[in-house]
Amino acid sequence: MAGRGRGGKTGTLTAEQLAMLGCVKDLPVQSAPQPTFPPVMNKPIALETTEAESFQLMWKEKFLNRMRNSPYYVVSESEEKQNLEQKDWREKILGQKKPKKQPEFNYRAMPRELNMSNRKRRGADARPKLLTKKTDIEDRLKVLEQKELKTGAENEQDDAKKESDSEQDDEMDDPEAALDDEMDDENDYGNSYFDNGEAYNEEDDNLDDGPVI
Amino acid sequence: MSADYAHLCSAIVEQCFGKVSQSVSDCLFSATTRTLSQIASATKLSRKEVGLALSVLINFRLVNFEATKLNPFVPEYSLSRQDILCLLRYPRYIHMVQKKYGSIGASIAEELISAGSDTASATLTKCLSDEDTRADSAESYRNIFLQMITDHYIIKRPELILSEEQDEVLPKFESNECDYFRHPNVDLQLIEKIRRGEATLAEAGDSNMIWNVNYDRFHQDFRDAIMIDAIERKLGENASECFRFILKIMYKTTDPWQRKLSNQITFVDIKQTIEKKSNNLDLMKHLDQYITLLTDDSLGFLRRVGDMGGGLYVVDMEHAFQSLAFACIESVITERFGSKAARIFRVIRFKKFIEQEDLQKEAMIPAKEAKSLAYNLFQDQFIHVKAIKKAGGGGNGLAKAFYLFQIKEKDSVRMLLDVCYKSLYNTIERSNFEKNEHTGLIDKSLRLDCIVETMKERGESDEYIAEIVETFTPPEVEILNKVKNRIKTLSKAELTMDQTIFLLQMYQHHCTILPTGIGKYK
Repeated sequence: MAGRGRGGKTGTLTAEQLAMLGCVKDLPVQSAPQPTFPPVMNKPIALETTEAESFQLMWKEKFLNRMRNSPYYVVSESEEKQNLEQKDWREKILGQKKPKKQPEFNYRAMPRELNMSNRKRRGADARPKLLTKKTDIEDRLKVLEQKELKTGAENEQDDAKKESDSEQDDEMDDPEAALDDEMDDENDYGNSYFDNGEAYNEEDDNLDDGPVI
Repeated sequence: MSADYAHLCSAIVEQCFGKVSQSVSDCLFSATTRTLSQIASATKLSRKEVGLALSVLINFRLVNFEATKLNPFVPEYSLSRQDILCLLRYPRYIHMVQKKYGSIGASIAEELISAGSDTASATLTKCLSDEDTRADSAESYRNIFLQMITDHYIIKRPELILSEEQDEVLPKFESNECDYFRHPNVDLQLIEKIRRGEATLAEAGDSNMIWNVNYDRFHQDFRDAIMIDAIERKLGENASECFRFILKIMYKTTDPWQRKLSNQITFVDIKQTIEKKSNNLDLMKHLDQYITLLTDDSLGFLRRVGDMGGGLYVVDMEHAFQSLAFACIESVITERFGSKAARIFRVIRFKKFIEQEDLQKEAMIPAKEAKSLAYNLFQDQFIHVKAIKKAGGGGNGLAKAFYLFQIKEKDSVRMLLDVCYKSLYNTIERSNFEKNEHTGLIDKSLRLDCIVETMKERGESDEYIAEIVETFTPPEVEILNKVKNRIKTLSKAELTMDQTIFLLQMYQHHCTILPTGIGKYK
């Protein structure tokens, strides 16, 4: 018959064979969890507490508490959050737990990469720069406003002066120079108005991606 | 380093420095060296957290760093695995300092231990700022600090070489053995100013001299105490006093951590020293007899090697710790399997190789019982079996073989050391479990104690205080007492187990050539 070659028959061992190998048919079924520790054959001897030991025990407890509250006890941020959530609401209100001190290390005696405060400073530099820029803009605008106001007042004064001057200029010999002055006076207000507008449009053109409609 | 030791180290670091430091130390334990980025990626912690944990561990001398071989600008970190266990010995160090230098010394050692490492000025400022210690003068603090340096209990860290380039990637240190115990210049007036807030620590002239506790000096004292106590128990007080003087003379000419034998000591030296420094007339009168007693004793701490100068002697550290370690193993066997098993162990040790049948006869124990006990000892790896096959079987039958019991001393000690690490880890874990299970109850009791204390300070009536105390119900009190007792027993077990570990580590140092990391300056 085909397919009855080597390895064709892969049935399990018979009961007799299992018995020969020492396997019992009815394996013990575990109904309850095993005891945590194996039963102790001999009762351990009770330890005597000497004076030295009691001192050491007390000091150890104190030391571990001190370490737990010290800045050297490093807790991850997630763990800290979890602790806060678990904290009693009364403690939260009373704020009994003092904020932990930041550990102070002699970073000069450690590799530079461990001093994270250096890195922080670099990262923190970006924001103040932006802020200073903003304040600069505001200051600049104020300065410009003041300038405009000043220039407006000066213009008025200039106009008054120029009117008197023009009367004097009429008496001047050069007619072309007189004409230029007149042109300047006329264009002074108008030119600045148009200049600002053009600049504004130009900027818009540069910034906008699409065509201006 | 076994897996048990790794677990123990992890638990100790967690206990003292928190979970982040634990993850970092676990990561470093499993590797020889690692860089910051490798640690961060392996532990899945942020670089900031890893950096902080590494800084803490470096500060406590548990992590070392050096430049990688490929790139001198990238530091890689390694863990001082053998030093982690020293964290558990801090209470013993403090107790020893307390005994030698009183509360001032203990306060200095406590501040230094809690800070990991610090300058003399900073340590003394902290000590003097403590409310409990204000009664003592600043001068006495300084003198004891300097005395502790002279006695080598405090050691200076290698000095930092200040370079022109301020922001160097890796700092360089100058290590000079002559400089380790050079006294710093401590300005008490400046310390007073710092305390008052009129000056800062940066102004102190000793900011480059960082000090920390010299673990191996304490270990040397612990080792001596083990030997002296053993002699006192066996041969009496006078013999132990005599041996204490012998050790003192030995340290003048021998490195305290020399592995096998000390340099030679003459009888005349011993006699002169005892006559000068001891008031024990009985010892002076019978000195030669006490020395003979020490040399003839089976412990073998002292050995006569010549007759020059009234007799030449050496302290045999190897033999001493062999005797002590095996006394310890025998006591463990007695506790675990009974005295008959200990007898079997002794017989095998005495005979070196012995067959099952001979063992029964030699130990004078019934065959069945002897067999069962020997197999129990074999199962727990206290004894081993050596198979010797008879040469030239040739035929079809099985070759005849003899199975002999033997003790592989180093293996047995190592096995017991691992058992100690494992049980110490279990003890710490169990203690933590008890604390976590009853956190609420412990917190409540602490809060109540605090309230009662405040009420007493305020002068509230006893009735009112009793009413407040009654808020803690009798069943709660009972549970709390049980938990406290359990934690106390576990802590006591920790101390005792550490003593056994120390003894077995001393065996490894003096009786093997294994690297133990023990040195004169650490």
